[in-house]
Amino acid sequence: MNQAGKALAEFVAEGTEILEALGKDLLVLDQQRGSDPDPDLINGIFRAAHSLKGLSALFGQERISKLAHQAEDLLDRLRLGKLSLDDQVLDSLIEALDVLQALLAEASREVSSDALSGRVTELGSRLANLGVTSAAVDEDPLDRLELDAQVRAVFTEYEEHRLRENVRRGVALYRVRAAFDLSDFDTGLAELNSRLKPLGEVVSTLPSSEPGGASGIAFDLIFGAKVPEAELAAKLQGTPAQLFSLKVRPVGSAQAPAAPAPVAQSVAQGIRPSAPAADAPTPPKKPRKKRAPKGSGAETPAPAVTESLVQAPLLRAVEEASPEDLTQGVLEAMRMGESSSPPRPELAGPPVRTLTDEPASPRGPRMENESARSLTQTVRVDISRLDALMNTVGELLLIKANLQRMVETARQQEGSVMLSSKLWGQELSRETRQLERKLDALQQGLLEARMVPVGQVFDRLARLVRRIARDAGKEIDFVIGGGDVELDKLIVEELSDPLMHIIRNAIDHGAESPEARMAAGKPRRARVSLRAEQKGNHVVIEVSDDGGGIDELAVRDMALRKNLITEVQAREMSRRELLNLIFLPGFSTARSVSELSGRGVGLDVVKNNIGNLSGIIDVWSERGQGTAFHLTLPVTLAIIRALVVGVSGRTYAVPLNSVLEILSVKPSEIRTVERREVLDVRGTTLPLMRLARQFGHPERQNDRHFVVVAGLAQERLGIAVDELQGQQDIVVKSLGGRLQGVRGISGAADLANRRTVLVLDVGALLEEGMSLERRRA
Amino acid sequence: MPSLSVLLDSFFYRPDEDVGPIQELVAGTDETVEPVPEEIPEEYLAFRLEGEHYAVPIHGVREIVKVPPLTEVPRAAANLLGVMYLRGEVLPVYDIKVKLRLADKAPLVAGPDAAEPPRGARIIVVQTADGLAGIWVDSVSEVVRLRPSMLELAPPGVGGGERDCVVGLGRRKQQLFILLDIWQALT
Repeated sequence: MNQAGKALAEFVAEGTEILEALGKDLLVLDQQRGSDPDPDLINGIFRAAHSLKGLSALFGQERISKLAHQAEDLLDRLRLGKLSLDDQVLDSLIEALDVLQALLAEASREVSSDALSGRVTELGSRLANLGVTSAAVDEDPLDRLELDAQVRAVFTEYEEHRLRENVRRGVALYRVRAAFDLSDFDTGLAELNSRLKPLGEVVSTLPSSEPGGASGIAFDLIFGAKVPEAELAAKLQGTPAQLFSLKVRPVGSAQAPAAPAPVAQSVAQGIRPSAPAADAPTPPKKPRKKRAPKGSGAETPAPAVTESLVQAPLLRAVEEASPEDLTQGVLEAMRMGESSSPPRPELAGPPVRTLTDEPASPRGPRMENESARSLTQTVRVDISRLDALMNTVGELLLIKANLQRMVETARQQEGSVMLSSKLWGQELSRETRQLERKLDALQQGLLEARMVPVGQVFDRLARLVRRIARDAGKEIDFVIGGGDVELDKLIVEELSDPLMHIIRNAIDHGAESPEARMAAGKPRRARVSLRAEQKGNHVVIEVSDDGGGIDELAVRDMALRKNLITEVQAREMSRRELLNLIFLPGFSTARSVSELSGRGVGLDVVKNNIGNLSGIIDVWSERGQGTAFHLTLPVTLAIIRALVVGVSGRTYAVPLNSVLEILSVKPSEIRTVERREVLDVRGTTLPLMRLARQFGHPERQNDRHFVVVAGLAQERLGIAVDELQGQQDIVVKSLGGRLQGVRGISGAADLANRRTVLVLDVGALLEEGMSLERRRA
Repeated sequence: MPSLSVLLDSFFYRPDEDVGPIQELVAGTDETVEPVPEEIPEEYLAFRLEGEHYAVPIHGVREIVKVPPLTEVPRAAANLLGVMYLRGEVLPVYDIKVKLRLADKAPLVAGPDAAEPPRGARIIVVQTADGLAGIWVDSVSEVVRLRPSMLELAPPGVGGGERDCVVGLGRRKQQLFILLDIWQALT
């Protein structure tokens, strides 16, 4: 790669990382919608936008840097309280993130489309004009705080704002004075800060005017506490800190008591929309409440207002990890907000597309970019993992030196051959064992380095879900779980598109409209969840919804109409088999073809993609209760342990992670059920497939067969082979584009001495076994 | 003492320099200099299939390897002989004799029942749109340089029908080469 290309790749990698962090934080902000945003969070987002701006300017990416600058501007106003975080602001920020992502994608391809440039300009001006109408504060709450004017004068604008905010909310404020020795005041201060952080907000750290002893330095920390004073004092035991309460003069008459707020302060704020604190200015609420009943009035800002109203309850990403009650609280707050506001006709149907929604023109080009795949191929690796690898390599070099020494001695002793051959052999075998162990460690380390949490792709999907739900007019709670489960980077990347497809289906076809849900006695908001779970050396990813479920009779009728099955077959099929018909190519039950899904190229592609990853997909559905897709995937594809088997003189490898057991079977034990061969294994019937017959090799007459029992998910199949040749670690190589279509083979591997063996695709063989059953039925 | 580069400078060719006399001088010395300079010969790799001489443009060929043990792929297309390993990559090896109607059936060269490959047999590795692919040839003969004037269209009856991968003929003195579109031959 040339210099410029390298620099670009680096930029894209780093930009992607920043955007990922940004996206994560925005998602949290989205979850907390309706409650007061965490200032740390806003600061984090602000910093991310700032670094993106700097980075892109450095690489001459003007469009990115400009938009990042505008977003940063907005965030700056947000964190200084000049602007309050309402739905419109949040939506704009999220849209900015989408646009930045698209820009980065274009940058990585070194193109620049006019449509996107137009979008950047349009969004940029919208960001700049957002919420300029922040109402002036009638009375500065800071004046009520008993604080030296001198101290106040040194506050930065941001600190002043945070302090004002804390006073306004009636948070108990303290001055924490701590004196440290000059030699280690930095560690002492850091420790104090880390103790205080969970208990509230450190608004400002100032050097104290009073000297802290002979060789010391004292600090005043202005601290807004979320916990009672007693607890605070207890937590500060053992530090040199002293607590002084900062008094706040009551304002007028009915100011909210400055009593220590409960832990869930911010949530509580959201729950009581008309709490006493609401006397304080909450600028954006006023115009909204006034205008909403008018519907899409004639004023220019009206469409924007309408939109934010519609969107607000549409989607809420709920992190499962967060405490249930907190989540519940937020949701509760949402519903209260809904019921307390005047009736909104917009909610009756799908959300009205308004002028401020995304412009229609860039729709086309954006669709192709719209993928949850990441733009870069980079993997972040903990340096300690690399160090461990380095150590292993060092030890391998030692072994090599040993082997070399042995070669030397052997050469010198050539005259007196066989003199110490026994000793020599022992030494050699010892070195080989060492070598084996070290290579194992190296392999293990490398595999670990390739692992990334699936959360990476989940977060990206969560953002897409927002948009999909909005476009489909559904109200969705999107629940994510198990994002920390690790998978090979390659698999994670390949997963994103299939997952997005399934989630789209869940939103588009699974989730009902809010009205239909209410009528069915279900909660108004549909729940779509995405969970990952590690099960042995497999990872199971579940996408489920609590929607209408799949109507298996409609599936059967559709399959009949499209001639995918015959009448006779349809009658014989179980419910489960009927459900599995949705994976057939060319199948789509959607009556209306939407932009999102239902183009007929649906689940069969998903199934293929999962199959290419040696995974298997399974569907569960109960009418009226919902649908769940289970994706079972191997943890890694790179190096796997395989069982090497022989069939008619050919050699194949079976991935050991799908082998359940191996049986030795006499030909007489094979029975037939409806002309299909089966085995009786401990009371259950196991379908049998003779690999030689299946692959068209000349069959051998054996007095006994080895049957490899393979299983993925709930499927089981016995594969009859002639001989077992042992286990081996293999590096599976894909067969390449030209041979993609070969059924039953997932790749090839090189065994020692230039022997190439094919690796069986157990998932595909299982399916073949099952469909064989279907065909014969 | 002027630096070396200054001394060397006078030896270098400059665009405004009159090189006519030099060319005249050179022209008499080398018989291989072509009278028609715009006819640039192109290099072709010549190989044999069932005794016939074929040639493909050499820029499309990545390398030529001896036949390694091939692994047969069950239930694959009929023209696929098998797969081979080449420095960590798996690539398919194809037969083009059937396509060229030189044989009725692809030879069995992979699997346990296959005979040792003939001594001269080679695999020509070419880059295709879907990655590398190998082509079995009976032997590789030479690299020939063919000028455009030495090429002719395939006579009617040869280039038509199934043999659409034949793009023309190359004639060097008495020797005839059948020029192949190798990518077309692989479809």
